[in-house]
Amino acid sequence: MTVSAHGAEYLKRYEDGDEGVRFQPLVYTGNFADLEPIPDGILGDRLMRQRMKTKVMEKVSEEDVLKDQFTLDELNDLNNYLAWNIWDVLVMRATEGVSGMIPRQEYEILAFMQEFYRYPEFMMLMTDQVGAKGIMDIGASARTQMGTKINCVHDWCLGAVAFGMGRCGLLALEVIEPNDYVEESNTILKFMQRVLWGKRQDGYILNSQDRYRCTIHEQSVIDQAMSQVVDFEGGSPDHDTFTKFNATAELLAFFDHYDCRLGLGDTGPYILPDGRILIIRDLFVNEEVYHWSDICADLPHCYTLALVLDPTKMGLQEIRVNDISTTFTQPKNYIPAIIGGAIFVREKWDTPMGEVYELPLSDTEPHLEKIREATVKMYDKTLRMSKRILCTNGIYSYYIDMILPYLRATGLYDEVCAKYNFWEIDQRVSNYYYEITKRNFVQVTVPQKIFSGSGYLPFPEGTDLRRSKYSIL
Amino acid sequence: MSNVLAEGYNAFETNKSPSGRVKYLSDPPSVMALIRSGRLGEHILLVRGGTTTFLAPALSMGAIGVITMSGAPESHLGILSREFQTPCVMTAWLLSSSSRYVPGETDDSHFDEIVKALDGVEVSLDCSDSLVGRVIAL
Repeated sequence: MTVSAHGAEYLKRYEDGDEGVRFQPLVYTGNFADLEPIPDGILGDRLMRQRMKTKVMEKVSEEDVLKDQFTLDELNDLNNYLAWNIWDVLVMRATEGVSGMIPRQEYEILAFMQEFYRYPEFMMLMTDQVGAKGIMDIGASARTQMGTKINCVHDWCLGAVAFGMGRCGLLALEVIEPNDYVEESNTILKFMQRVLWGKRQDGYILNSQDRYRCTIHEQSVIDQAMSQVVDFEGGSPDHDTFTKFNATAELLAFFDHYDCRLGLGDTGPYILPDGRILIIRDLFVNEEVYHWSDICADLPHCYTLALVLDPTKMGLQEIRVNDISTTFTQPKNYIPAIIGGAIFVREKWDTPMGEVYELPLSDTEPHLEKIREATVKMYDKTLRMSKRILCTNGIYSYYIDMILPYLRATGLYDEVCAKYNFWEIDQRVSNYYYEITKRNFVQVTVPQKIFSGSGYLPFPEGTDLRRSKYSIL
Repeated sequence: MSNVLAEGYNAFETNKSPSGRVKYLSDPPSVMALIRSGRLGEHILLVRGGTTTFLAPALSMGAIGVITMSGAPESHLGILSREFQTPCVMTAWLLSSSSRYVPGETDDSHFDEIVKALDGVEVSLDCSDSLVGRVIAL
C-alpha cells in the first residue's frame, strides 16, 4: 500500500524555521519572569534554547559528554531547559486531580525526593562499573532492541525527575537551599546526558530538541517490525482486533506501573518509503520486581506493537513522540488512521532479541482475556490496600523503576539490593510523608512549583561545584 | 444546542455520540458494582479525576462514554479513552454555573454541584469538535 505523503501538512514541521502547532493554550515563565512567556512545542524549544548561556542544549560531541563536570552555567541551563520540558509534557496531564484509587499526588513527590537523595550513589557505582563510555553504550543498546526499558521515559526520568523535580520538591519543602547538592546534581545530570546521547547518537539528548522525533531504532529493528505488519482498513475486523489489543494492554501497562507512563515506550515517527508512518510501541504489562505484579505472572514482560499510520487519512498536522515516550498528534485521534500493525512478545526483560516472537492478530484473544483478567484482579487487589501501602508501592514504582534498567544493564541490581538497601525509603523521605499533606503542599505547592515550572531555582552565581550539603540548620 | 448541560475538553475527535443515563461513580466499589450488574453499557460514567486506575476495569469492559471533572486529553484517562475510542468530556463545567475547576484550588462544592446536576440524567455526548466536548440532555 502506498499513500501520498506529498503535501502532508505534518512534514512542514521538519522544515527550518517552522514553529510547529500549539498543543495547549498555556504558556511558560519559569525563571524568566522578565521575559515573554514561552509556548509549548517546536517554537518553545527554539525560544528556550535562545535563552541558554551555554551550548549544552545544542548538539554536543562525544568528547563533551565524556567530560565528568558541567560548568555552573551548564547546570543552570540544563535546569532551565528541563523545567520547560517538564512543563511542556506534564502541565496539562497534571490537571487530572485526585485518583480516587491511589494516592498518586503524594507518592509522586515523595518518589521524586527519594530519587534526588539516593540516585547519585547508584549512578557513581554504575559509572565505576562500566565507565563513562559504558554508560553511553547502555543508552545505545536501545537502538537494536524492542521491549527494553532503556527508553525515552526512563532516560528522561534520570535527570528530569531525579534532579529536576526531586530538587524542585525539596526546595519547595524548604529542606534544601539552592546552593546545596551541586556535586550530586552534576552526577545525576552527567549520567542522564550520557545515556540519552548514547541512545540518540545525533548530538541531542531530548526529543523536544529534534522536533519531537525519537527515531533511534536501527534499520534492522524497523525491518523486523515491518516484516510482520498486516495491512488493514479502518473499521475492519483486523483494525478492531489490533486497536483493542493496543488499548487493553496499554491500560494494564499503566496500571502495573501505578498509573505511570513508565509502562509505555514509543519511538518514532519513522517515515516509511511509501509515505506511511511507523510508531514502535512497547507496553510493559508485567514488571517482575513489583510484588503486586504477581497478578500478571501469566503475561510476558512486554508486548511491542508496530503501528502504521496513514498521515493523509487523518490530515496530520503534527506528530510528537515526546520525552516521556508518548505519541500525541494534531488532530488528536490517530486510531482510525492506523492502517497496519503487528504485535511482538518479549517474555522477560532479558530475553535475547533473537527470541522475541510475533503474535499473529488471529491469536490475540487468549492474551486479551488474560490482560483483562489481570486488570480486574489488579483493581480488586489495589482497592483492598491501605493508603500507606499504596503510597509505598507508588514510591517503588517510580524510584525503583526509573533506574532499574540501568542497574540491570550494569549487572548491579542484586548488589545495590544486598549492600545498599535499594528498596529502603530514606528516613528523611519517610518523615516527609507526614509533612507533604500539611499547608496544601501536595495539592497546591507541587502543581505550582513543579508542573507549572516556578520552583526550579538556579544554582546561585559563584557556587562551588564540589558543594554538597554540609548542614541542616 | 440549547439543551447543552455541560462542556469540557474533548479527549479526542469522534463522530460517536453515545447516550445513556449519567452514573456518578464515587469510589472503587461503585465501579466494581456497576460492572458486576451487567449494565455498564447503559450509562455515561461521571468521575471526579482524570486518572486511569479508578476506571480501569470499566474501560477494559466496554464503557461507552465518560465525563470527568478534572484532567485533560494529555492526562492518562484522556490517552486511554482515545485508545479505547470511548468518547470522553474532561474537566466538565456546567453551563448553568460560573464555577470552574482550578487544580489545587477547587473545593468539594464545585464537584458536588456537577454531580447534583448530571447524575441520573439521560444525556448524549457530542465529541465531534476538536477542542470542546459537550454533554447534551436528551
